[in-house]
Amino acid sequence: MTETLDELARRLEEALPPGAVITDPVRLRTYECDGLTHHRAVPGVVVLPESAEQIAAVVRLCGEYGVPFVARGAGTGLSGGALPRTDGVLVVTSKMRRILAVDLANRRAVVEPGVTNLAITEAVREHGYYYAPDPSSQQVCTIGGNVAENSGGAHCLKYGFTVNHVLALEIVTPDGEIVTLDADDPGYDLLGAFVGSEGTLGITTKVTVRLSRAPQAVTTLLAAFKDIEQGGQAVSAIIGGGVVPAAIEMMDALAIEAAEAAVACAYPRGAGAVLIVELDGPAAEVAHQFAEVERVCLDSGAFELRTAAGPEERAAIWKGRKSAFAAVGRISPAYIVQDGVVPRTALPEVLASIDRLSAEHGIRVANVFHAGDGNLHPLVLFDDAEPGAGERAELVSGRILDLCIEHGGSITGEHGVGVDKSRYMPKMFTDDDLDTMQLVRCAFDSRGLSNPGKIFPTPRLCGEVPGVRKGVHPLVESGRAEQF
Amino acid sequence: MSTPQNTGPRDAPYGTGAHRAAGEALRGTGVTVREADPDDAVAGVMPSWVALPESTEEVAALMRVSASHDLAVVPAGGGTRLHWGAPPDRCDLLVDTCCLNAIPEHASGDLVVRAQAGVTMDALAEALAAEGQELALDVPVPGSTVGGTLATAAAGPRRLRYGTARDLLIGITVVLADGTIARSGGKVVKNVAGYDLGKLFTGSYGTLGIITEAVFRLHPVSPARRWITADLPADPGAVAAALAASQAEPSAVELDWLAPSPRFTVSALVEGAAVEDRAHAVRAVLGGDGGGKAPGWWGAPPGEVLLELRVPPSGVDGALSAVAARGLPARVRGALASAVLQIAPAVDIGGPEFAAFVSGLRGDVAPFGGRLTVLAAPPELARLADRWGPVGALPLMRRVKERFDPGRRMSPGRLAGGI
Amino acid sequence: MDPELIDDCVHCGFCLPTCPTYVLWGEEMDSPRGRIHLMKQHVEGTPLTDEMAGHFDACLGCMACVTACPSGVRYDKLIEQTRAEVEREHVREPSDRALRELVFQLFPYPRRLRAMRLPLRLSAGLRRRIAPGLERVNPSLAAMADLAPERPSRVRLPRRVEAVGRRRATVGMLTGCVQGEFFPQVNAATARVLAMEGCEVVIPPAQGCCGALPLHSGRPEQAVRFARRTVAVFERAGVDTIVVNAAGCGSTMKEYAEIFEGIGDGEWAGRARAIRAVDLAEYLAELGPAARRHPLPLAVAYHDACHLAHAQGVRSQPRELLAAIPGLELREIAESSICCGSAGTYNLFQPEAARELGDRKAGRVLATRADLLVSANPGCTMQITSAIRRSGAAPIPVAHTAQVLDASLRGLEKVA
Ligand SMILES: Cc1cc2nc3c(=O)[nH]c(=O)nc-3n(C[C@H](O)[C@H](O)[C@H](O)COP(=O)(O)OP(=O)(O)OC[C@H]3O[C@@H](n4cnc5c(N)ncnc54)[C@H](O)[C@@H]3O)c2cc1C
Ligand code: SF4
Ligand code: SF4
Repeated sequence: MTETLDELARRLEEALPPGAVITDPVRLRTYECDGLTHHRAVPGVVVLPESAEQIAAVVRLCGEYGVPFVARGAGTGLSGGALPRTDGVLVVTSKMRRILAVDLANRRAVVEPGVTNLAITEAVREHGYYYAPDPSSQQVCTIGGNVAENSGGAHCLKYGFTVNHVLALEIVTPDGEIVTLDADDPGYDLLGAFVGSEGTLGITTKVTVRLSRAPQAVTTLLAAFKDIEQGGQAVSAIIGGGVVPAAIEMMDALAIEAAEAAVACAYPRGAGAVLIVELDGPAAEVAHQFAEVERVCLDSGAFELRTAAGPEERAAIWKGRKSAFAAVGRISPAYIVQDGVVPRTALPEVLASIDRLSAEHGIRVANVFHAGDGNLHPLVLFDDAEPGAGERAELVSGRILDLCIEHGGSITGEHGVGVDKSRYMPKMFTDDDLDTMQLVRCAFDSRGLSNPGKIFPTPRLCGEVPGVRKGVHPLVESGRAEQF
Repeated sequence: MSTPQNTGPRDAPYGTGAHRAAGEALRGTGVTVREADPDDAVAGVMPSWVALPESTEEVAALMRVSASHDLAVVPAGGGTRLHWGAPPDRCDLLVDTCCLNAIPEHASGDLVVRAQAGVTMDALAEALAAEGQELALDVPVPGSTVGGTLATAAAGPRRLRYGTARDLLIGITVVLADGTIARSGGKVVKNVAGYDLGKLFTGSYGTLGIITEAVFRLHPVSPARRWITADLPADPGAVAAALAASQAEPSAVELDWLAPSPRFTVSALVEGAAVEDRAHAVRAVLGGDGGGKAPGWWGAPPGEVLLELRVPPSGVDGALSAVAARGLPARVRGALASAVLQIAPAVDIGGPEFAAFVSGLRGDVAPFGGRLTVLAAPPELARLADRWGPVGALPLMRRVKERFDPGRRMSPGRLAGGI
Repeated sequence: MDPELIDDCVHCGFCLPTCPTYVLWGEEMDSPRGRIHLMKQHVEGTPLTDEMAGHFDACLGCMACVTACPSGVRYDKLIEQTRAEVEREHVREPSDRALRELVFQLFPYPRRLRAMRLPLRLSAGLRRRIAPGLERVNPSLAAMADLAPERPSRVRLPRRVEAVGRRRATVGMLTGCVQGEFFPQVNAATARVLAMEGCEVVIPPAQGCCGALPLHSGRPEQAVRFARRTVAVFERAGVDTIVVNAAGCGSTMKEYAEIFEGIGDGEWAGRARAIRAVDLAEYLAELGPAARRHPLPLAVAYHDACHLAHAQGVRSQPRELLAAIPGLELREIAESSICCGSAGTYNLFQPEAARELGDRKAGRVLATRADLLVSANPGCTMQITSAIRRSGAAPIPVAHTAQVLDASLRGLEKVA
């Protein structure tokens, strides 16, 4: 530790309860990465605060010493968003996990940032409510992390993302002030801008979430197709037909193979693709839509349909899908989880291109995806013992993102940019776009101390307030600014 | 509080010479620019010029000229809500988006549309309906544009089910005060790359820059709709809460009430498949009768002078009692289940009376988490009132404004705290 | 510590919320993911520091993380190897060592354990040092007496119990050290239930500790010795199925073959594999009911013992058996997958954490407002009862699944 950090650690110890400051190197190292393990950095200091006031004190001290800080929830992020700074302080919210209020009359709950996503639902389930965004990591990931990443889940097709379910936030700004951002505030939607900012605009200390009514009926259907094209057709036809299911998930043959190996999910034999469609809502509506979906699947060539009647059968259908990520570990020694988005109609073309890439580089790719909103999660498989395989996998994985951009999609649908994808940002956005985003950053964090090095490829110095630009902007001149 | 000024074309800091030079420079961009006339006044403030750009690049060109000539700029759409918010501190150039009226892309298979800012919501609805789709954002005032709807964060009855503009917006193109063209989001619904500038510009009242294009997610038009309407003697909020919690999943539950009378008209909308069953379920809670047509007042603003009341849903009945207790006749209308209501006091209300009503009611609803803002009021009325009430995030908003528009040239003074 | 087993962990964190120490403290180092990371650090050359050893010692070995892990990480193997490494490499404080010695010389031996019910004869200094630990044992022991007030403290089981009606199977039965000593009535009930369901039950008299206690505390040599003895005893008794009613013993016995393989003892591994250890509930569910169930109008809260639910994956069977009793209402305990803090010797070595977890569990148990708590592990029973006592709430009777079934099969009015 440097002298500055040493001194800062002492000051932090004064400001926080006993045991809340970690400086022992062995302990510090356990915080070196989040769910994306190939980016590692041992934090300078770790703090485990228990209140907003303590976080504000930490942030103010960091400001005093000019030391960067990084927030961390459960460390399940998949883009290295919570990658610590060796020269900085890691602020971990894992001790702040109280549900402060459940207000059913107003369909909302107020929670601390370290509360897990699922804990909210568990607290209100018996009253017939739930918290709608459901990332696959919901039993672990924290609501603070969800807010930072604007996390979604299988059911966000119908119900939206974190940003659509957060009513207010209490944050500690990078200046160390405690401020409330409220959806009812007139003026700029700062709440909306903060959600998804990956910890670069401050630290969330309290979250007010909307609670949703548990649907009257839920029906889950599994359809098996010969190949992924047929499955894709069915997806387009379902949505084109005016049905918005709660979820539409697809898995290809390789992903099915992995899931079978891991959890013996017993999906129909010989399926080149399976589609899981979940419908929910008023019972009468669900019944109506179910008939429609069933017809569409058969028309698109489904050779087997299964319907879950109760929760157990539903769990059986979802089991294969939910285990898919972890399961590929059983068919491949190493893999990269990619996250990209394409317009739904471009799915067949993009999947075909991924196939070509895979063949060209001799790298297998298993596809698991939220088909309803075109969110691909290709799992790029390789053997880390084979020389050069890792590099080829990286290449294929990167090329998949290029495909997403070419088709007007996005480099990330839910895992965030973090450190992992900041280098792709200039491919998706112009310098002007990025500079403009950084204006927001500068407004919140003029010294760039809050989670620096994430999202943006090149940090901007906020001192350079863009002055009046004279003449035609180079981007317009070159025609780049026209592209949307 | 900002003090509205009725400056009209100003002479300082540039005299007529500078004025002429600025006008020439504006015309030099090749964009259609005309001298302003009294009809172009923005909440009583007269601009000097009106420009009618046809593309994002033209807007950028205008903004660069404005930057070098220190012109204050106010963007305008259909003009339906231009009088919302405080009057601008100054206004030299009005950028009328009426010619930014193309819909360059409607990817119906993806349920996504990209529209320029000046497209009216009606025109957009018509184009989408051709493919059986809609932007589930009711916009009550005919003639309002995409840009204006976003800038004022307007929403209608169906916010209960679909959310508001910010929830349906997935991509945006804006031109900043210095002419920079910036874009965020994209054409896909699921996207978490970079900051969401769209959110920031929703509700910005033209103070951060000019919105030139927007991308929205769409929904299929519901095959059938039913409105169930009933008159209640008391506590409509409790009924709305019961409806919102019921399994009928209404898309909207609206109130129409002439305060302080004891007759609350409540209307609920159900959409989608199996509407009859759902209408039946609604009727079981609400009573009343239903049909395939909306009540005449559905979604329409309750008057000219407009206040917006937001409370947590359980506070609605308390807030309505507070309105009644003020004794002033006022029409109250809006999203009952979402607890966002508009209040229109009688047009002949006097300034001091109005100010007392605003501050009194604001005080009444504050204890249960309610807030009251003045959306639209003529300057004479609004002068004595605090339009916005307390805004916790104001210092942050101010810092955002400073970064985006350091010269304070974009619709200066229109928002809370003189932003 | 096997680096390959360590590498199986993909750092997803799915195990965090079920880990009792993470639930208590919210610190990465005291989570399964953090502990695996510490193991990795050690394998990569970081010496075993006091801090590191402390985090390993704080692990309850409840195996909730094994159940939760989607990647199939064998934390059970890892922590076993790690504990052995800690015992080998780590120099503990003298007083700490003394406490551990005492416990390991005491608990696995029924006769010594019996002696502990008398006032402990300890040197004054040692007593002061282990006072917090013992304080936690004593109320538990006292609580036990309450459980069976009208029963003699020892029940002598016959060597063989004949099947009632047609004989459907012949099984051996493990009496276990703690179960046998502190809860003899559970063993009696187990034997009766098996017999009434048509099993001939063989109960060899010379059984001792199955090896679970030393195995879970990093003393593999002692564990291996006990395992050999247990296998030999049942071989001699001529049975190939051993029904076990104590969760901790069952999980260890299911691992015998692996344990012997681990030390390269193929012969004993083979002998171990020839005998099947099976949990009572698991066995009864497989066998299917034969005897008539009499009604028991009771609200019952079922507690998942870690060594049953996590280590053996036996969760549904006891619930099904209980729910099949007419009149019995089964209630779920919130956070059922989180350890009660008993975990073998844990409440002796980590008294504070054990106490906090016990209190937490007691709160959840009381919240069910059940008439009876059912637990299949003697350690859990002692732990939860003493926590409830501490909370000042009215005590809730506790019984083993076997006792509830026994009462129903025999048509008793209440669970004895
Ligand atoms: C197996 C697996 C499946 C997953 N599935 C999904 C999925 O379906 N959908 C999805 O969207 N994501 C998914 N994720 C990704 C991840 O779980 C989410 O991004 C989650 O929101 C991260 O939460 P966390 O608490 O772990 O945050 P962390 O990983 O600790 O942090 C993530 C980011 O949030 C910031 N942060 C954390 N807390 C705060 C705070 N209080 N204030 C400000 N910033 C903060 C951090 O600085 C960092 O940038 C998955 C991850 C795994 C491992
Ligand atoms: S065995 Fe139990 S205490 Fe130990 S790491 Fe796993 S879950 Fe935590
Ligand atoms: S759940 Fe398994 S893979 Fe994930 S962190 Fe825990 S042990 Fe590692």
